Amino acid sequence: MQEKVMSLSKAVDLIQYGMLLAVGGNAMHRNPTLFFLELATRPVENLKLCAAAIGIAGDILVATHQADTAYFGFFGLENEAGLAPGMRRAMEKDGSCRAVEGS
Amino acid sequence: MIHALRAGACGIPFMPVGGMWGSDLVAQRPEFFQIMKSPFEGEPVVCVKALIPDYAIVHVQEADIYGNCRILGPTFQDILLTRAAKKTIITTERLVGTYRMQEEPKLTAIPHFIVEAVVELPGGAYPGICYPEYLTVDWDVYKAYQGAVKAGTVREFAGEVLKRRS
Repeated sequence: MQEKVMSLSKAVDLIQYGMLLAVGGNAMHRNPTLFFLELATRPVENLKLCAAAIGIAGDILVATHQADTAYFGFFGLENEAGLAPGMRRAMEKDGSCRAVEGS
Repeated sequence: MIHALRAGACGIPFMPVGGMWGSDLVAQRPEFFQIMKSPFEGEPVVCVKALIPDYAIVHVQEADIYGNCRILGPTFQDILLTRAAKKTIITTERLVGTYRMQEEPKLTAIPHFIVEAVVELPGGAYPGICYPEYLTVDWDVYKAYQGAVKAGTVREFAGEVLKRRS
């Protein structure tokens, strides 16, 4: 087995223009939020997201207009947090992200 | 969505879906949904195109240095996401010895050979929840995020959150 431990910065460097990213966790639960916050500080764009429930991590990249497509069954944060704010703004107002909804 | 990922994980270009009849989604997104005839009896069947993510990015509670991971509590669709993706990036609450996987091998949710990177990142799901490490949303930070979305300053918000951790 090969050792694969690296810094957050090095791991985020792996993400390139136009990639399709699957987002782990569910809504506000075990979502890889810090990884996506680090990605939001980078210039990488035209990303695509997918998950059954993308959650707050993916919402960050939709809010920064770095994600142009989202494949999802549900795109919200549940409970008091309501619908995902970046998704609503990007899909209802800015038109910067295309929704491909499944079930 | 689950079937699209299952098709990706199985290495097939699409998969029939049992539902979707009566939904406008099928007509709205022809690049993702198509209706075909069953090759057996000829009845119509909705099909969904495979999704093959370049990376699955998953936060777990325990990983070893090689990328073997344990997920405590619900796994959601994470096992499927990692099988559909070409490679997986792990962020983990803590690094553990491989002995932890050897104690109960069947509890290894993600095996090392599909993992490309492991990042030790306590609080990696912050300001969200990561059972059993932190059980409530940090609502002050979440409200600050909502404000940043409205103000169009999410990149600055991200920089501030990361700076506070360093």
